[in-house]
Amino acid sequence: MEKTPKLSLGPSELWNLDLTVVITTTITCILVFIIAVLAARSHSLVPKGMQNLVEMIIEFTQGIVRSNLHGKIGERFYGFAFTLFLFIFIANQLGLMFNVVTEHHEPVPALGIEAADHGGHAAEGKEEHNAYAWWKSPTADINVPIAMAFAITIVAHFLGIRKSPKKYASHYFQPFWWMFPLHIIDEIAKPMTHGMRLWANIFAGEVLIIVMLKGSVFLTGAPLLVWLGYSVFVGTIQAYVFTVLAMVYMSQKLSTDH
Amino acid sequence: MEVLAGAIMLAFAAIGAGIGNALVFGRYLEGVARQPEARGMLFTQTFIGIALVEALPIIAVAFGIMSVLGIL
Repeated sequence: MEKTPKLSLGPSELWNLDLTVVITTTITCILVFIIAVLAARSHSLVPKGMQNLVEMIIEFTQGIVRSNLHGKIGERFYGFAFTLFLFIFIANQLGLMFNVVTEHHEPVPALGIEAADHGGHAAEGKEEHNAYAWWKSPTADINVPIAMAFAITIVAHFLGIRKSPKKYASHYFQPFWWMFPLHIIDEIAKPMTHGMRLWANIFAGEVLIIVMLKGSVFLTGAPLLVWLGYSVFVGTIQAYVFTVLAMVYMSQKLSTDH
Repeated sequence: MEVLAGAIMLAFAAIGAGIGNALVFGRYLEGVARQPEARGMLFTQTFIGIALVEALPIIAVAFGIMSVLGIL
């Protein structure tokens, strides 16, 4: 796994801003915007080409929303679900296409690039590398999916409180009052696993691609192609599951029957 | 030591994910055998189930890889 250039904003490592993630997230946003604009620019009654594809995705995401949030409240989430699905889908595929790696011999403090490490690897007789990756899936960095999951959780809780504060407070003590700690663990674990599921799938996929590329000839041929194809599949499934779970968590806070 | 810890994490994640996915996919095949017309609906439900089952194993795999590579 190559190191990534980092922009330091504060005193400790926690303040580091991963520039690779910033760049690829911006590229993902631009790609999603271009796809949406291309689909909507010359719209006709009989859809064809790009418009047809995007209309299929919109109907697909509307189906996800409709099966979880019933009635009028669901209509508000059509745009959100579509945006979420398309963003995660594009982001997951982004890291599969190619990789941009730069080799550095001089340290660049502004980008967090350190000087080449002359100990260690050179002593073991291995080839010395001071490579920095400028391209990866934004979702392969844990901060992006976790941030999305926590944002969704905050919206879900906000919707629940606005619907009925009394019901929201009392559901922590259902069915027995001593279940309160379990509910707290549940509310913390939901966004954690929600974000980490997406991150771990994409991260494990990208690491395996890097391992295959560095491996022998037997790994870089057909197995790599098979794994790339499987990664496209996994990226689509994970985008779908992330959207479904976002809607499920919101419907749990909005539901009236329990 | 970190490599060994990562290897154990990967192994147990593989065992857990194998058993979990087998249970989910086996039930899907049973369902399709009983009711072949429900295949389309069951297929999407199965993949949601597999993605949910695989969540914890794949997180363990990610941390195992990080442990083996020494990032963690």
